[in-house]
Amino acid sequence: MVSKEVEKYLLKVQKPGRYVGGELNEVIKDKREVEVRFAFCFPDTYEVGMSHLGMKILYSQFNSVPYIWCERVFAPWVDMEEIMREHHIPLYALESGDPLSAFDFIGFTLQYELSFSNMLNMLKLGGVAVRTDGRGDELKNIVVAGGPCACNPEPIADFVDLFFIGEGEEVDLEVMELFRKCRAEGRGKREFLRMCADIEGVYVPSLYDVAYHEDGTIKSFTPRDGAPAVIHKRVMTDMDSSYYPDNFVVPLVEIVHDRAVQEIFRGCIRGCRFCQAGFIYRPVREKSPETINAQCRALCENTGYDEVSLSSLSSSDYSQIVPLLEKLTEWTGEEKVSISLPSLRVDGFTDEIMNKIKTVRKSGLTFAPEAGSQRMRDVINKNVRHDELMQTCATAFAGGWTTVKLYFMIGLPTETMDDVADIAHLGQDVVDTYYNTPNHAKGKSVRVTVSASSFVPKPFTPFQWEPQDTIPVLHEKQKHIIESIRSKKITFNYHDADTSFLEAVFARGDRRLCKIMELACERGFHFDGWSDCFSLEKWLALFDECGIDPAFYANRRRGFDEILPWDHIDYGVKKSFLVKECQKAYENQTTPHCRLECSHCGAAKYGKGVCFEKRQNLV
Amino acid sequence: MKNVRIWFKKDGACRYISHLDLNRTMLRALHKSKIPIWHTEGFNPHPFATFPLPLSLGFRGVNECMDVRLEDENYSFEEITDKLNACLPLGIRVFDVTEAVMKAGKVAFASFTVKLSANKIPSGLICRQLNELLAQDEILIEKKSKKGMKTVDIKPGVKSFSVTEHFDFAALEVVLSAGSSDNVNPNLLVAALEKKTGAEYEADVTRNDLYNADMEPFR
Repeated sequence: MVSKEVEKYLLKVQKPGRYVGGELNEVIKDKREVEVRFAFCFPDTYEVGMSHLGMKILYSQFNSVPYIWCERVFAPWVDMEEIMREHHIPLYALESGDPLSAFDFIGFTLQYELSFSNMLNMLKLGGVAVRTDGRGDELKNIVVAGGPCACNPEPIADFVDLFFIGEGEEVDLEVMELFRKCRAEGRGKREFLRMCADIEGVYVPSLYDVAYHEDGTIKSFTPRDGAPAVIHKRVMTDMDSSYYPDNFVVPLVEIVHDRAVQEIFRGCIRGCRFCQAGFIYRPVREKSPETINAQCRALCENTGYDEVSLSSLSSSDYSQIVPLLEKLTEWTGEEKVSISLPSLRVDGFTDEIMNKIKTVRKSGLTFAPEAGSQRMRDVINKNVRHDELMQTCATAFAGGWTTVKLYFMIGLPTETMDDVADIAHLGQDVVDTYYNTPNHAKGKSVRVTVSASSFVPKPFTPFQWEPQDTIPVLHEKQKHIIESIRSKKITFNYHDADTSFLEAVFARGDRRLCKIMELACERGFHFDGWSDCFSLEKWLALFDECGIDPAFYANRRRGFDEILPWDHIDYGVKKSFLVKECQKAYENQTTPHCRLECSHCGAAKYGKGVCFEKRQNLV
Repeated sequence: MKNVRIWFKKDGACRYISHLDLNRTMLRALHKSKIPIWHTEGFNPHPFATFPLPLSLGFRGVNECMDVRLEDENYSFEEITDKLNACLPLGIRVFDVTEAVMKAGKVAFASFTVKLSANKIPSGLICRQLNELLAQDEILIEKKSKKGMKTVDIKPGVKSFSVTEHFDFAALEVVLSAGSSDNVNPNLLVAALEKKTGAEYEADVTRNDLYNADMEPFR
């Protein structure tokens, strides 16, 4: 609901449909009849936030509880923000139009480090004090956060009252229930937070003290008031019975992923050594084809979407992918619904899968070999061979595709200039494969897009101790690829190294970075994930002012025995396993994926998922 | 196969979506409603719908229409209304379904109510300003075209008008040329007024009715 005041300005901004709510399936409740009001904030624009599956799941789940009303809040784009500041309009939730400060809970999902500045900016715009210690002891305006960036919460520890570690479906509701009880008993925020810390999967940063060595590394991390020394993540063990919405809010304006999204499994069997998601979501847990089929159908019927995307970290690794596609295509053809399968692995693109998705829509093909040379792919444990990639491309070309996108990373551990040049060579090999495929599309040319992003070492991966390449080295590598490309059929894109550097600083930062974040907020930093707004220069000036060296976080090789800022958080994967994986990387050795062999990472302790499946080679 | 015209209002939150977004929203609602509408037969079949006259973002529409082809000629019009309303956001309400009597291309005029207000300008004065502007022999505005800016006279596109004074706004009732050839958007009148007086106005625009070249209501 939009206030009259906001309406006065809506025609002065780009895409006003972002700021009005009123979509199909939006949940409106009577605020006098609910006990807990939760503002679910996505620290980016409406189009980005509305595409996020986690938000859809939790929005529906919260609202399925009669005493909770969950509403949505997005970061206003810069033109709208300017108007809101000028006319003193506080950031409001789309459903009720009430300002952030009216909410019991203000929850953020943290999908990427560069959205941290938006989180603080949104609090400020909403009239809520940015720091936890500025918000008082009253039981309201509790700022909570979750999502992948919560796995190293330290750079934003001063601003968030509590973090949800792991999957939110159960723990969120436990916290809401406790809140309700605490309010009935007249308890204050401090007491409530202390009680929350006893719930598994909740991290209350204000209950811990950190001490540092003289060299800047962490000396100790000490809990107070009996808070747990280690915070264990929460995991949904049965995907078939865990909550999934049968309904999405259907946006009025076009969003980034404007379609129904169906989760098919969580986790990834592969264990690529750079990939955080591959470790923090372990173990792999699948939904049954029956559940997926029923959920897909309900979603399409309730939203009117004519496209459903099967979502996971690596769709072709779904153990029953072909039976699933068969089940889906039984009704999707008649209902004129198309199926898209993003996140296909190079080795998972078979004729059978191709024919099933081709029956409805032909979208572009995207593969991520991640590295150009075989040695490099072994280092990162990608487990994709050159001939597999060429075979896959040949299959696609024979099937009529003429464009292929290839994603790579530069700056990986142990990488040489030869490895970098092999990225260009691999692109060339794909072009050659096109012309060597006898039945490729007649009279059409091939288009190969090679994209290279810069490697960012992330917590809870075997590369968490690795230094990131410095910006000049990354630039040199980008240049080297450009010089190694010979064909006009190849388009080369690369990701800005400046943003990757800042991402690396915050991904593995500690609590001392809170000072930087606070200052960034004061200076009005926002939308750092957007090239329109990002300026590394401005950030470096802040680091300078605070006397903090960002290279300490991004470019320093850390010791295996060092206390890392996130060591008190347990994602199920043992640190000793990550060390072993890192050492294997240095020896160019791969590790088989979970379905081939158990590598004893530690995730079996959850008692479910792939760890307990029968392995094919043991049958 | 029968051509039918679906009549609806566009207001509330839906006032702020563009024509393209309206199109998408309508197609999704048609798809969800399972009304037997003819679909395009391309690689990616979707319900086929056309709009005789798109509505600008920000305008309220009280008598808007969309044409579809009904596969089942006996399908009841009431059912279309009910089913579509169940599938549409609240800002879009279908209130009637009729046969498409006139061809979509026959739209030649549209009537609007433009409520104008401005900081520190009494509505009586806005009325006088409007009357002066519309009494001019020509109303020149700058229009963006492929060859840069060009000056256009929109006065010939003003078919009729009347101005009334209200407590906190001036209401302009105006009939303007509409359709693919000589379309005049009421925002152009507001821009011309702003240019003339140097003030900034808030305009709340409602499109009321469509007409053919003989000023018969479009049906």
